[in-house]
Amino acid sequence: MENLEEKIVQADSLETLEKVRVELFGKKGVLAAEFAKMKDVPGPEKKAFAEGLNKSKASLQASFDARYEVLKSEEIEKVLKSEAIDVSLYGTLAQKGALHPVMETMDKIIDYFVALNFAVESGPMVEDDFHNFEALNLPKYHPARDMQDTFYFKDGGLLRTHTSPVQIRTMMETKPPIRMIAPGTVFRRDYDLTHTPMFHQVEGLVVDDKGKVSFANLKSILIDFLQYMFGDVEVRFRPSFFPFTEPSAEVDISCIFCEGEGCRVCSHTGWLEVLGCGIVDPNVFKAVGYEDVSGYAFGLGVERFAMLMHKIPDLRSLFEGDIRLLEQFR
Amino acid sequence: MIVTRSWLNEFIDLTKVSNEKLYETFNSIGLEVDSITQIEIASKVVIGKIISCEKHPDADKLNVCQIDVGSGKRQIVCGAANVVDAEYVAVATIGAVLPGDFVIKHAKLRGVESEGMVCASSELGLPDTGKGIMILDESIGELVVGRELSSYEKIADTIIELELTANRGDCLSIYGVARDLSAALDIEMKPFEYKQEEKIKLGIAREAELRHSGEMDADLHYKLATIENISSNFLVQLRLAMVGVEAEGKLASMLAYATHTTGVILRAYDSRTFRNSENKISVHPVAKMKGVIEVLGNEKVLSVVGVNQEAEATANDETKELLIEASYINPDTLVEAVSVTSLKTDDLYYKTSRGANPDLYFGLSFLASMMDSDTDISCYEGSLNVSVEREHETVIVDAKEIASIIGMDVEIGKIVTILQKLGFEINSMGHDVIAAVVPLFRHDIKHIQDISEEIVRIIGINNIEAKPFVFAEKPRLNDTTDRYRAKKEFKNRAVGVSFYENVSYVFSERALLDKYGFSTVDEALELANPIAEELNTLRSTILVNLLNAVKRNVSYSKKSIPLFEMGAVFGSKREQNEVISFVFSGQVEGENVRNAGKPKMIDFASFTQKVGAVIGAFELVPCTYNNGLIHPYQSANIIVDGKVCGFISKLHPTVQESFGIPETFIAELDFDAFLPTHINATPISKFQGVYKDLSVVIDKSLNYYEVAKVLNALELSMLKDAYPVDIYEDDKLGDKKSLTVRFFIQSMEKTLEDSDIETVMGQIMMALKTECKAELR
Repeated sequence: MENLEEKIVQADSLETLEKVRVELFGKKGVLAAEFAKMKDVPGPEKKAFAEGLNKSKASLQASFDARYEVLKSEEIEKVLKSEAIDVSLYGTLAQKGALHPVMETMDKIIDYFVALNFAVESGPMVEDDFHNFEALNLPKYHPARDMQDTFYFKDGGLLRTHTSPVQIRTMMETKPPIRMIAPGTVFRRDYDLTHTPMFHQVEGLVVDDKGKVSFANLKSILIDFLQYMFGDVEVRFRPSFFPFTEPSAEVDISCIFCEGEGCRVCSHTGWLEVLGCGIVDPNVFKAVGYEDVSGYAFGLGVERFAMLMHKIPDLRSLFEGDIRLLEQFR
Repeated sequence: MIVTRSWLNEFIDLTKVSNEKLYETFNSIGLEVDSITQIEIASKVVIGKIISCEKHPDADKLNVCQIDVGSGKRQIVCGAANVVDAEYVAVATIGAVLPGDFVIKHAKLRGVESEGMVCASSELGLPDTGKGIMILDESIGELVVGRELSSYEKIADTIIELELTANRGDCLSIYGVARDLSAALDIEMKPFEYKQEEKIKLGIAREAELRHSGEMDADLHYKLATIENISSNFLVQLRLAMVGVEAEGKLASMLAYATHTTGVILRAYDSRTFRNSENKISVHPVAKMKGVIEVLGNEKVLSVVGVNQEAEATANDETKELLIEASYINPDTLVEAVSVTSLKTDDLYYKTSRGANPDLYFGLSFLASMMDSDTDISCYEGSLNVSVEREHETVIVDAKEIASIIGMDVEIGKIVTILQKLGFEINSMGHDVIAAVVPLFRHDIKHIQDISEEIVRIIGINNIEAKPFVFAEKPRLNDTTDRYRAKKEFKNRAVGVSFYENVSYVFSERALLDKYGFSTVDEALELANPIAEELNTLRSTILVNLLNAVKRNVSYSKKSIPLFEMGAVFGSKREQNEVISFVFSGQVEGENVRNAGKPKMIDFASFTQKVGAVIGAFELVPCTYNNGLIHPYQSANIIVDGKVCGFISKLHPTVQESFGIPETFIAELDFDAFLPTHINATPISKFQGVYKDLSVVIDKSLNYYEVAKVLNALELSMLKDAYPVDIYEDDKLGDKKSLTVRFFIQSMEKTLEDSDIETVMGQIMMALKTECKAELR
């Protein structure tokens, strides 16, 4: 019996242990043979013999189970080890592309205003003089037209110079109250380091009853919007001039590069100009046939936002499909 | 518009206003500050008085001057030719450190001792006032020998460049800017008083006559003067240099100075050149059309009001008799007329087109006061005038209305003060209501919101408390919003299968589109003023732009170039459509350990799989599109919901070669065709189905598409699905090929029995035999 215990402990693989099991516990095993001797044991000793035998069996079983556990886990460990790979080799397998930073910025802007219950509106890129200029209080020969160098077509059509014509179209097709934004592609005939002939704008317009919409309302939404986009910045309003709004303002944020200290990006002023806005000029409402209304409007250049937010140095690189730039936004 | 602090100071007392405050105020009232430059004059640069000036014994071009610099007499050698005309000069004494760290030291020039330097403006960091040294005079203040030049506020001035918006013609003068500051800073303007020194007791009418014809839209005032000798003071030169106004000669400088100061357009003619046969100066303004007024002198054109002036009769420093003209013309009519007639315009047009100062009397008086003090110019008494009766705009201003526009209450008293300072005339109309008469120089102000703007900018937008807008709830989701969301979804899917989003100009090159067989905008609807040859038309495909981007990326050593772009393309009638376009060029994936650094090149199957991951389920049928980018044997129409919505193709090898790019695949799809549609679910069978393969031999040229058509036409209810799984070709098969199709057969009503399956397969085989000449393999 001592010998048997030894055999269990000595087993060095599940196969050997299995052989020991058969030798011990099998139908023709050692234990079976021992139990068979029972019938030859005289009556009075039978009980003691049986007890002794059962005890030995239980002890052997316990040893066997323990050994089995050890060998089984060794075996699993062996399998696991054999499947080992250098996972760090595969970190470069990802195949994701990236959204364009300008489009992603535009999405972020749209998301903000949609969350505030603004409708998204759109209009054609090829526009006419009425929607792009006349209706926006930019009559022919107005000096402010010089600010927007325009692409014209031979039949007098033009490529919209801003997204403002969408305001006009929406106002003419629907009735107040209006809360809308118009994200879109716009065109100016200008091509140098800081200008591209095509870029993107988001325009906003709110129209309600006369006396309801004020400059204070415009300030409120724009301050919140700019802080949503740029984080904890200061917002400054400067009076300005746009033909389609009166009063008009340009909006600056404190420079996000130098935090107002003054740097090259903000031309050492500590401020970055990011938005134009104002109270809708009565002539615009007149052009679309609205009476007794009030409203505010604002407009921004998406490229400028994207460049500032992501510190992209070169405007023109945004239109070249340069993967070296795009892959940074994966 | 450039102003200087000391120049403004002539009209408004700025002594208690710091430069920081000025900067802040300008920005807050809408006169954006572009730059602000404080002129720093080095110390030990003092006023010197030249006692004597003799030629250097050994150098022709040098002079040896004895100069009193207050602390004593200095001998200084000077190389500037104009030193001989000078009395008072700026002297950099020993120890002065001039810009560029130039230290003035004791020196010997060609053997002569020199203790300092007589300075030119640029040597002191001042704008260039002309050749030679600065010859100072009392125009900068009392000249005290030995006094530091830096203590003269007119020299150590602050130059401020303002960026004016198009509506602010009234601020194109020092006076106009001062007036705006007066309102913003609440400082009274200094009155300008002028009493003419009547040197000539003769009236102008004895020598000149003025008659006009046509409907005048301009005011014209004329004065006549004789000149003995014309001189110009140093301050005029210095300030014109500071504000970057160029004027040739003393007279022109004086006129430019007066115009920059007052905003009144001033011109001067040599009236002797157009005295008539009776020896009279006859001036005859003629309105040619609305906005175009020619001024004739003895029936010769002298000028066009607000537009230009003929050189021939223009007065210069040699002129002995001077006819001075001050003019004002309505900018609205002027600008329109100039655009229509394309008249040649001169420098003053910028001012006249935005509205010059209509206060002609002020302009002429200012000029006369300059002449009185600096020159031997004698004016005739009185002036000849043409004046148009102009109606002043009146705006009724209700404080309540202002409050509702701004969103903040502003007291009527405050409104009145602001408007009065800005030059408005105010009449009370009752409680909290006034009538504001708009001054002529503010032709941009027409209604209550314009007035609000004035109030807003003077009280400061930053002082308005922000208030959220309260509005009635209303759902605002619309088609455009839905479409925007769908687009975003498609874009995100494309990014998920490795595409980068591209944004390119919606322009293209007409010749290139033609070359590749894409449609172009009709000639009559084409761009009239393209910015460059390669951007001379609207694009009808995005693919050419994408291929250009691929080319650039190849040059940046990129080996796997997947790009997509969603955007507008235009048809021949310039109709705008939205498409989504894909290109994939080069390696199908990045180089990594799995592909041992040698990834496969992109192929039709991989590209199709990627495009499918973006747009969802589609069918491919032989391509019917026709353009130069398409590969005739590896291209297909993409069909979604039974409609052709675009094509997918290998890039034609010749195009690939001409772009110099590796193997490339392209696809362009009409975005509207796969906008999400509503889907109804179909019931799913509860019974088990079976897969069955069938291999048939068919003609090599027969597309699977033809086979699929036959299978679809059978309309077998139990045939749930059929798809090709293998194609086999070899020499034995010759011009045939073996096609294996896998079928999924299932019934809605019962568990299939072998006989059911056989029936279905039998029908399939029968159809393929008759329709596709297929044989069992």
